[in-house]
Amino acid sequence: MSRARRRLLLFLAVLGPGVIVMVADNDAGGITTYTVTGAKYGMHLLWFLILLGPVAYYVQEMTVRLGAVTKRGHAEAIFRAFGRFWGWFSLLDLVLTDWLTMITEFVGMTAAMSIFHIPPLLTVVCCWLIMGAMILTGRYWTWEKIALLFCAINLIYIPAAFLVHPTLHDLLYNSFVPHFPPGGFTNDLFFLLMANVGTTIAPWMLFFQQSSVVDKGLVEKDVKFGKLDTGFGAVLTVVVAVVLIIVCGQLLNGATVDDAAAAATQIMPTSRVIGTLIAIGLFDAGLLGAICISLASSWAFGEVFGWAHSLNKKVKEAPWFYAYYFFDLLLAGTVVLIPRAPLVLITLFVQVIATTLLPPALVFLILLLNDKKTMGARVNTRWQNIVNISIVLVIIVLSTLYGISAVFPNLFGNQ
Amino acid sequence: MNFFKALIDGVREVNRKYAKPEVETTLFVRICLLSLRIYLIALVGLMIFKFITTWKK
Repeated sequence: MSRARRRLLLFLAVLGPGVIVMVADNDAGGITTYTVTGAKYGMHLLWFLILLGPVAYYVQEMTVRLGAVTKRGHAEAIFRAFGRFWGWFSLLDLVLTDWLTMITEFVGMTAAMSIFHIPPLLTVVCCWLIMGAMILTGRYWTWEKIALLFCAINLIYIPAAFLVHPTLHDLLYNSFVPHFPPGGFTNDLFFLLMANVGTTIAPWMLFFQQSSVVDKGLVEKDVKFGKLDTGFGAVLTVVVAVVLIIVCGQLLNGATVDDAAAAATQIMPTSRVIGTLIAIGLFDAGLLGAICISLASSWAFGEVFGWAHSLNKKVKEAPWFYAYYFFDLLLAGTVVLIPRAPLVLITLFVQVIATTLLPPALVFLILLLNDKKTMGARVNTRWQNIVNISIVLVIIVLSTLYGISAVFPNLFGNQ
Repeated sequence: MNFFKALIDGVREVNRKYAKPEVETTLFVRICLLSLRIYLIALVGLMIFKFITTWKK
């Protein structure tokens, strides 16, 4: 076997956690943010979305190294390194954030399927069955292959971009020349930029990818391919975001859009095919997000309480791990079915609570990656520290402003 | 009852197991952890302020 072929096979074997977490990052909330951005500012912010790709890569790459070196998930690593106060804070905040985010995923899925006249109850029950069946296979690899299939479905938006025929000049100019849309830097624009940053880096992603790396059994020598996997995933996440902005920028430019399902409905009269693609993509995004988020919480609980917590275990071998997964799933799905549930308030809560968790999680990540006792030879280099600390500081400032502006909408002016 | 007893025992065990932080407490680490505490206190303070002002209205 040639060296190149062997390396390709190795990469394909390692491929998984990075691609899954990055594509799942474009969850129902993410898809909504991109459609609103495209509808409001056309393609003018493509360059900003492209910049967020490397940002997501640098942050997530740290979890690959941490997981492969320590063989511990993120929750356990925080408990071990920073003690019980920060450990409980991170775990409980993660659980609450994840549960609320799961609700928003179910909201996205039911909204997408209602476009095809499928009642919410049927959508929720089907999602429970799909998500339940996925993890009951008793093998991490089987679960991963199914999740990768859902990642591939997430690319359904790409053909839509070809159908709207953007000009090459507009595409290149908006992608590679940083500029503000006509009207300049306004409060609305600032809020949307923060929303895009907020949807690119979420606390659950750190916990999910590190636990996933551990459950898959990646070790130090796999770090190189793990980084490639994450880089490949970052490219996919940017492609999906860019494509959605192109589509909505071309078809809905200037229109007021509240969410992705509304965007799909508004596009239907112009192009039934594109509207349908957006609705299917939204459902897939919500499903993928819900799968990963519920697993992130289950892994975190298992790590901290010392329960068996692997997808390679059967239900009777890891009962608490699976029980928590199903509990999370059932609870989130049920809330969506409650008539007049405060879903807008829940979406607001997600932004606020994520703001309290993201900065500590990112700071802990930097500190752990600088702890020689923990990381050994894989400790952050000076260059990695310069890049990572700069990124983390910018994310903390923007996500904090985003969280605060969600609670005090008039603080930075009218939106 | 057994479930809650097991849960409390589990929490106690976690608290005992992770009582002592293992990270090397350099000046940088201390500054970061202190900054995080201040950040969280400020954020929670803002939320309480928002709650009280909304409630008074």
